[in-house]
Amino acid sequence: MTRLSLARLWVAGAGVAAIVLAAVLAPLLGLPDPVRMDVAHRFAGASLAHALGQDGYGRDVLSRLLWGGRVSLFVAASSAAIAFGIGTTLGVLGGFLRGVTELLTVRAMDVVLCFPPLLLAMLVVTLLGPGAGTLILVLAVLYVPGFARVAYAGVLSVRAQDFVEAMRALGARRPRIMLRTILPNIAGPLLVQFSLVAASAVVLESGLSFLGLGVVPPTPSWGLMIADARASMAQAPLLLLWPCLALTLTILTLNGLCDALRDAIDPHPIPRRRRRLHEALVPGLLPAARPTGAELELRGLTIEIDTPAGPIRPVRDVSLRLESGETLAIVGESGSGKSLTGLALLGLLPPAARVASGTAWLRDAPLLHQDEATLRRLRGAAIAMIFQDPMSSLNPVQPVGRQIAEAIEAHHRLSARAADRRAIRLLERVGIPDPVRRATAFPHELSGGMRQRVMIAMAIANDPPVMIADEPTTALDVTIQAQVLALLADLKREAGLALIFITHSLPVVAEIADRVAVMYAGEVVETGPVEAVFSAPLHPYTAALLASAPTEGGVPPQGIPGVVPPPHALPPGCRFAPRCTRRIDACDAAPPPLVEAMAGRATRCPRWAEP
Amino acid sequence: MNGSPAPQPLVLAEGLTRRFAARGLWRPFSTGPRAVQAVTGFDLSLARGEAVGLVGESGSGKSTVGRLLLGLLPPSEGRVLFEGTDLKGLDGAALRALRRRMQIVFQDPYSSLDPRRPVGAQIADGLSIHRLATAREAPARVAELLRQVGLDADHAKRFPYQFSGGQRQRIGIARALATGPDFLVADEPVSALDVSVQAQVLALLADLRTRLGLAMLFISHDLTAVRHLCDRVVVLYLGRVMEEGPTAEVFASPRHPYTAALLSAVPSLDPAHRRDRIVLSGELPSPADPPSGCVFRTRCPHAIEACAAAIPAPRPVGPGAGPGADPGTRSHRAACIRDEIIQVG
Repeated sequence: MTRLSLARLWVAGAGVAAIVLAAVLAPLLGLPDPVRMDVAHRFAGASLAHALGQDGYGRDVLSRLLWGGRVSLFVAASSAAIAFGIGTTLGVLGGFLRGVTELLTVRAMDVVLCFPPLLLAMLVVTLLGPGAGTLILVLAVLYVPGFARVAYAGVLSVRAQDFVEAMRALGARRPRIMLRTILPNIAGPLLVQFSLVAASAVVLESGLSFLGLGVVPPTPSWGLMIADARASMAQAPLLLLWPCLALTLTILTLNGLCDALRDAIDPHPIPRRRRRLHEALVPGLLPAARPTGAELELRGLTIEIDTPAGPIRPVRDVSLRLESGETLAIVGESGSGKSLTGLALLGLLPPAARVASGTAWLRDAPLLHQDEATLRRLRGAAIAMIFQDPMSSLNPVQPVGRQIAEAIEAHHRLSARAADRRAIRLLERVGIPDPVRRATAFPHELSGGMRQRVMIAMAIANDPPVMIADEPTTALDVTIQAQVLALLADLKREAGLALIFITHSLPVVAEIADRVAVMYAGEVVETGPVEAVFSAPLHPYTAALLASAPTEGGVPPQGIPGVVPPPHALPPGCRFAPRCTRRIDACDAAPPPLVEAMAGRATRCPRWAEP
Repeated sequence: MNGSPAPQPLVLAEGLTRRFAARGLWRPFSTGPRAVQAVTGFDLSLARGEAVGLVGESGSGKSTVGRLLLGLLPPSEGRVLFEGTDLKGLDGAALRALRRRMQIVFQDPYSSLDPRRPVGAQIADGLSIHRLATAREAPARVAELLRQVGLDADHAKRFPYQFSGGQRQRIGIARALATGPDFLVADEPVSALDVSVQAQVLALLADLRTRLGLAMLFISHDLTAVRHLCDRVVVLYLGRVMEEGPTAEVFASPRHPYTAALLSAVPSLDPAHRRDRIVLSGELPSPADPPSGCVFRTRCPHAIEACAAAIPAPRPVGPGAGPGADPGTRSHRAACIRDEIIQVG
């Protein structure tokens, strides 16, 4: 929860508390009796005794306003509370027990939703007679389905979580699971619903009282006051103003509380992207050095993310070089910055993150600090990307063939039919059987492996010379992973595709890559040809990663003790020192630079030459 | 059986079959796909302290087997005996009491812990449900459990979001161990973790298993994770057992083409391993519409016409398969009519 949303919660809460307090304390304020008539002074203006004047029967307006607030707020709060209790119980029972209970609770509530509220109110009032009690009953009945629905939806999403299954496995009784595990997890939306309902109940109470279906005169209520004032609008327009003002103020404060509650419970602030002035003015003009003939070259990339505790740098000074036709693997654990590096190259960083420094070229086109239009021309045509989860990268409501065709149309002028035909050829190219039929399938109709093939077809649609693949096989089964790796190797061989392959799996690196860059805590710690690096690593982290990989032989894999340091708490010296078995005191002095140890190989460990 | 009767297995599954209805309460007249048979005729005998690996691709029914064995899901056919007691015959209270002795560790370290409660309270749940410790004793017991899984005792007051994936998985293990179970189902406990953390958690499970004498069903899609932890391995495909046997033997000489393909598909640091890779064509068929005969035949490089004719029964293979050999449960069995081909190839 951020400090700002907490402050808003306090302000809104204080506003609601003030209104409630004024209503509750009305009898103690020494105001005139709200029902005592004084016909001699009807429509009298403000005076010392009557701060807001007197109404058509000479009753004190301020007193009626506060006493009316008592009635309105009491009716609203108690009906909301009753609806909350009953609705939540029904929703939780229906969502958790399902079956017949679901039919009796949640579906029965849907029937209530079918009654027009006014009709329902008239029916109940006719049966029970008007009054505050009847009003509470009517409002509660009206609001129960809302709570039941919110609770039901919450339970359905929470009950699918493993921690609920864990409680069952522990042998917990159902009431315990419902009360102690499910209820706290759906409390957020229910609280928001409560404040919404309370606000709307105040309005509805006024409306029903206005129509004569609610509070009985002479008991003051805001709705009755409005009804009375309407009759004498021409003589005393101010009489209409006061109850309306009270109503509006109450609703606004309640809605404010509702918003603050929601923000406080669900703290997902959308961070603003700070663009530096020079970036806005001269995009792409800053890089001075020229590229050196590599397919893709990245120099000194540093990524910054603003957090409430100040900026952090999850990627620092990363330099990479990709020759044409080559596969470079970026390997590291979660939190190593490998995915951010890939996203930065395509200008796809999340809004909170920005490139703080660094330059990159795709052949001789600069990549970082480019405007969106330039990047859009490059993406797909000159550099493509595939992701770990193809389900979230594909449009769920469009056939996959059309999606591939659109990728082609984005960079070529051709008819939709020609694009569709090419899409089918591409599906065939990536090994999808029966491509004509599959082209009309939606993503959810395909398996994970098929979807990844569709993503690859989309990525190669415009024959880009460079592709970035971010964990493309991590979510797949081993037999499907083997298929996809074989496909990528084919594409490399036939189309001369240069590939940056981001993964956490060293065996996959050994299978597919020519060179490897090992990343740790946002830095490259070792680079070199795969075979050389894996047979004789020059950095203790690479060695430890290799030892933790599953092996063919009889030696069980060895874990690396400890965790990757988060970017806001980096060790002062070598980032790996706290987990390193070869650490000496000098390692903690200052972060060691990446040094070229031998031809084509670099390491950040200053002790690489020692045995 | 010759001589003394075999000791009673801790967990015994006989002919477990589980169907999931494709039509629900709200679609009584649906004409959609037929019921999906997630698991068919699954047998297992698990002795005290024994670890069995259950391996298969997603959709093979391995998680369903885990839940069937724990009684979290009732079988459509067959039965599960825990120390000779049929889970089906138990009423709610007796089943809940039995839960103290069998526990589960989940795959996803994020959804397996309640985000709203401190982890210590979640570990203590099992203690209070089964009245294993008073409210006063519980904190000391929780601290002990946390230390047992390699965490600090003062971590009890923290919330799940304050831990890394590997630490959360350790907390999940501590929660499962709180009731002192004899049988633990580990449902892909390391699949969501970084490789360096995977090795740590596997080592922890191996250590706990020997120290506490836990019987364990280790579910995994990754054969290599099973290798160092399990005595036996069962390979599942489309809800049916393809092969089962002692881990070392199955890894060294798989006798079912599916096991051989699975083993060869695992990416390896060793270039020699890659030379004779078997890349399976196609994908897992829909369990709603399985192939006739051997369910694997549509992807099998060795399939012949006879494979479509009948569902092959698992039969003894390997060194102990000859006539007169002990037909005990520990033998190496494969459900393939051409298993001798695999042995040669």
